[in-house]
Amino acid sequence: MRPIETRYARSGEVRIAYQVVGQGSFDLVFVPGFISNLDLHWEDEGYTRLLRRLSAFSRLILFDKRGTGLSDRVDAHHLPSLETRMDDVRAVMDAAGSGRAALLGASEGAPMAMLFAATYPERTRALALYGGYAHFHKWVMSPERLDAFIATAETAWGTGATLPNFAPGRVDDTHFSTWWARFERLSASPTAAAALARMNAGIDVRDILGAISAPTLLIHRRNDVRVDPEASRFLAKKIPNARLVEIAGRDHPVWTGDVDRVADLIEEFLTGQPAVADTERVLAALLVTRISDTAKLGDRMWLERSQRFQESWRLLVGRHGGRAVGTHGELMISRFDGPARAVRCAATLREAAQQIGVASAQGVHVGEIEARGPPVGLTARVAMQLANHAGRGDILASRLVADLAVGSGLHFVDAGRVSLGELDEPLPVVHATSEQHLEPACRSKSKPAEPAVLTARESEVVNLIADGKSNAAIAAELRLSEHTVKRHVANILLKLDLPSRAAAAAFSARHAGPDGP
Amino acid sequence: MLTKTQTVDGAAIKKAIETRDGKTLSSFYTDDALVRVIDRNNPPSKPREIRGRAAITTFWDDICSRAMTHKVDTTIADGNSLAFTQACAYPDGTKVFAAAMLELKNGQIARQTVVQAWDE
Repeated sequence: MRPIETRYARSGEVRIAYQVVGQGSFDLVFVPGFISNLDLHWEDEGYTRLLRRLSAFSRLILFDKRGTGLSDRVDAHHLPSLETRMDDVRAVMDAAGSGRAALLGASEGAPMAMLFAATYPERTRALALYGGYAHFHKWVMSPERLDAFIATAETAWGTGATLPNFAPGRVDDTHFSTWWARFERLSASPTAAAALARMNAGIDVRDILGAISAPTLLIHRRNDVRVDPEASRFLAKKIPNARLVEIAGRDHPVWTGDVDRVADLIEEFLTGQPAVADTERVLAALLVTRISDTAKLGDRMWLERSQRFQESWRLLVGRHGGRAVGTHGELMISRFDGPARAVRCAATLREAAQQIGVASAQGVHVGEIEARGPPVGLTARVAMQLANHAGRGDILASRLVADLAVGSGLHFVDAGRVSLGELDEPLPVVHATSEQHLEPACRSKSKPAEPAVLTARESEVVNLIADGKSNAAIAAELRLSEHTVKRHVANILLKLDLPSRAAAAAFSARHAGPDGP
Repeated sequence: MLTKTQTVDGAAIKKAIETRDGKTLSSFYTDDALVRVIDRNNPPSKPREIRGRAAITTFWDDICSRAMTHKVDTTIADGNSLAFTQACAYPDGTKVFAAAMLELKNGQIARQTVVQAWDE
């Protein structure tokens, strides 16, 4: 796929950055809210999802309003009128070769879209307004609250401090709040942000609502924290051909919360066809990674390390072709196309956890999940329970994972059965052990393992391996089951980070002392 | 019937498409015509279906409102069947290519299947 190109339209003296995505039979212009940045949107999962959904049925035209993102800045002392800013929409449409388009106005973008629809009815195919309003002070913020907001913007802009004003539901999501801070910095400077807020405060388009003739869909989240839902109820009364749909949720930005619900409504409204009910279930491998503070690090150090691990987790999951789908406290869930990828990722995550100094325990399960949204069904619950059952450093997988990963070069050791409340029968499970390559393709230079990390029993086993004994012989000598010996061998290889029995034997020879290795 | 019925042939379609004349294009269809579009977003097992003249009029109005160039290259007629290919370009140079098969009924388009692909 070609990278998405950013182009610049000329609106008077100002250059407006825009992008065109998709090939639907009609054009849809997205008029964004307060701040935006065309490049950064594609780095957020929710934003990308929204844009992908919309561009699947339209030719989607995106732009940064003047003063934001990649477009020219505005003079903070001579703020442009809403009419001037609205005309940027026309300039972008002209540049993109769009004679007539549907407009999606979100938040502050809604009054601009309404003004456009009233000014250029022949160029407005339809109007979809999300979380919109006609009068800023009445439905968004009183002058006093605005002053406080501007004060916050001026002192703490770029730190993500405005997030609670927009999406309180995402404040605890470290990844998102970090993204939001970048979103602030890359969308506007502190001065520009304050100027934009003042510009928006002047919005009052109540007089032009009757002049909108395009079919209009209004969408508002019932508990929207930023814009009072009464704002859309007012619009529904005043815009002649409008219909209001109130949906659940409180986070304000259109790309947060239930993005699919919003996209479904817009798609049905604009195409006349309901969005194809995407209740499709797909087969996926789920990896649940649980970390814990077994070393009693104390809250502060633990927080640092768990955050570092979460960053590594996102990176490694992506690197293994998976998707980070959610976190529940210290449980992290990722999704993969195949079980082998999930297990390989789990192995690198275990290493990462060791390096960072947190204890990990992981569960892998395969099953059907809803193609859309976070995995919440039985498959997800089983994977989570496996992670809870897994011991420190273990990768506990359902037998099914091992069966499907045959031929992948991964090794599994039988681990009996686990009774899970929801399943009729105990679930057969396996432990994933290190891959046993002769020469590992990529091995980090870790510190040479100290023999002391082996338990007394493991030391015995490693000595017997060095004597050239088979598992069966070792089992007989130590009066253990062969299965247990296999388990010990796997653990030894894992702990010492060795690729084979031969290497373990060599290790034993190297470290032989009066008390054995 | 209020709409002036114009005989549909390759030359008429070529002219209407190349001049982005949505109104004339819409008048070529029967009232209950069906246009099916197959492309990357609308796979063969679930093509996009545009039914009836009103929806087809909106479809052509949308297409014709774009500042695109269209060139109809090959037109083949055989009894009540008509086929043509169409090369289009957006102002930014992005190209779209489409091939269409049409079934005519009493000189009007009753059914049309478009298969299209684009630069990406």
